[in-house]
Amino acid sequence: MKKLKGNQTDTLSDMLALGDMIARLKSIRVPADALTWHRFSGSLLLVLLFLLFLSGAFMAFYYSPAPGAAYDSVDYALFSVPFGNVIKGIHYYSWNIFLIVMGLHLVRAFIFGAYKSPRQLLWVSGVLIMLLIPALIITGDLLPWDQNGFWTTQVRISIIASVPVVGDFIVRLIQGGPLTGIVALTRFYVLHILFLPALLIFLLVVHFHFIRHHGLSGPFFKDESLRPTISLFPQLVNRWLLLFLVVTLALGLISWYWQPPLGDPADPTDSTFVPRPEWWVLFLNQLVTVFKGSLTVIGSVIIPGGLVALLVALPFLDTSSDRHPARRKKVVLIAMVIALILLGLSIIGYVAHFNETHP
Amino acid sequence: MRVRTVISVSVGVALISLMLIWNADEPVRAHTLMVVANYVETAPAGLDDPKWQTARAVQLLVEGREPVAGANGTVTTRALYTKDRLFFLFKWKDPTQSTTKQSWMFDGPKWVHLKGNEDRIALLFEITRINKFATRGCAVTCHSPADVPKDDWKYATKTDDEKGDLWHWKAARSAPYNYADDAWLTVAGNPTGSYRETGRRKDVGGGGDLKNETPDGTRPLYMQNPAIKPSAPGFLLMDEVVKITDYSLFKTGDIIPYRLPLKPSGSRFDVKATSRYADGGWMVMLSRKLNTGHEDDVVFNPKKRYSFALAVFDDSGSEHSKATEPMTLIFSP
Repeated sequence: MKKLKGNQTDTLSDMLALGDMIARLKSIRVPADALTWHRFSGSLLLVLLFLLFLSGAFMAFYYSPAPGAAYDSVDYALFSVPFGNVIKGIHYYSWNIFLIVMGLHLVRAFIFGAYKSPRQLLWVSGVLIMLLIPALIITGDLLPWDQNGFWTTQVRISIIASVPVVGDFIVRLIQGGPLTGIVALTRFYVLHILFLPALLIFLLVVHFHFIRHHGLSGPFFKDESLRPTISLFPQLVNRWLLLFLVVTLALGLISWYWQPPLGDPADPTDSTFVPRPEWWVLFLNQLVTVFKGSLTVIGSVIIPGGLVALLVALPFLDTSSDRHPARRKKVVLIAMVIALILLGLSIIGYVAHFNETHP
Repeated sequence: MRVRTVISVSVGVALISLMLIWNADEPVRAHTLMVVANYVETAPAGLDDPKWQTARAVQLLVEGREPVAGANGTVTTRALYTKDRLFFLFKWKDPTQSTTKQSWMFDGPKWVHLKGNEDRIALLFEITRINKFATRGCAVTCHSPADVPKDDWKYATKTDDEKGDLWHWKAARSAPYNYADDAWLTVAGNPTGSYRETGRRKDVGGGGDLKNETPDGTRPLYMQNPAIKPSAPGFLLMDEVVKITDYSLFKTGDIIPYRLPLKPSGSRFDVKATSRYADGGWMVMLSRKLNTGHEDDVVFNPKKRYSFALAVFDDSGSEHSKATEPMTLIFSP
């Protein structure tokens, strides 16, 4: 810590009374591969979350959560506020990349058997975080009050409503009534900026609690005690800050050159608008398409719910101590089949909704 | 790994895939038609500039409403932009070139109005957001619903906050000065003592036209000044007229235009035009600064998308239009 001019004894950390805390942080050792070029997904997710929170907070300065004003306020923030397009772009690209990196994070954890004892609850907390992200996206999509956001929300609400017993209740709860109007927009806004982020932070704390106590999963065959380590502060923190700067700069540039989309203002009376599903729900959308009528619940609830249950229960179903994929052939094969089906559904959904020729 | 397991899994995946492909949805169509303005370094020189070939031609369907319901056609539209101007090129079939606009004809004993009106094309953009314009287009501004009597049609926005930018090219009244009359749209009113309430307001500046008639409305008041060479042959510009003092000079069959274009200026003269009638159709190029700096104009930001609608008028002086559905203008980088 740099010494202050004119005072040769007191350091800034002394004056801020942070000396003990810094000493504690310096004493914490973490695996040297906690953040490297081949292991970065967790750190990158944290970077993207920071960017989402920061950009979201800036966007909230200009946002007005009322149907008559929401679109104009977003339009103003996007096109009239200096660097408004960069801020919104960072928010937009961050969550898109977040979904991809979260998928990679999950795949890596699965391949490396990171859900095995004693890290079962670390895996479960990660899955819960993964389930929370779509809720954030769904509530966020409505906020600009544009055609795509509004009608996509209608599709999602109709899917939620198809859930037996509780579907209608959930819809009433999040919409505040039978229609998507000012109450729904207000509730989505409050959920998006307050309750869901708070829940996300709580789950992150839980996730890091388990990381702190059970450590990061290591290489397959090496002795854990021989793993090289670095200090949490400043070594790991500096790596993370560097990653933060690089990602911020990259997303800023991308946002500057490729504007985030804002469609036409929502017209709740225009039922001719056909929203296109976003890339990350193509497989779910296709499932709903396959199971029609009285079978809708299979595509909208039973299969997705079953997959989620399988993910949560994985550490308790695969209880062997073997972490190497070659020694977990049955689990890996089942996972590959599920992944292939989901990929196939997504491709079919893409072809159905995007591969068209415009007149 | 057992061969039987692999075969079972493969067959399962194949069957599920087949089922999913069988149930795949039909492709959906875009809700609104996009007109894409391509960027060019230098402005197109005119109607035949090869630069226009770099812009994608979009066939815009125009459909008539009362009293020309059922009539339809297409307007081929291209758009380009430079760092400071936006250009449109419109081309549409019109078997009759109409620029008469009720010209006077001397039939021997008296002056009579010739039949025939003028061809026009009009564009409407949003200066500020007009509720549902993006999805309903002119239906929310261009006249009241069809079940309302024609005389009660207002052509206006619903609230003060909603403002439209109207570009109105008129074959007889604005084309001679190579511009499209730039106006704006707001709530209905009658600030100028017009013959009926309307939401149309002229942009600041000069322009428009005057009726060439004596106070009793029986004959023309002006004729071409013989000392000035007509700058727009076939038309009579107000700047180039003299009062008729001796009506005995005219012989049977002589024609004098009824509408006298006024020299445009100011914000009303923002939209420049070049036009040509040939091969049974019109070609009209309109261009305007992306940002005129005038409050009565839409500001084009190439990063934004703009809803707009278009109408063509065939030999029409009033509401006889064929209009498009709402469309979206986007700027390609």
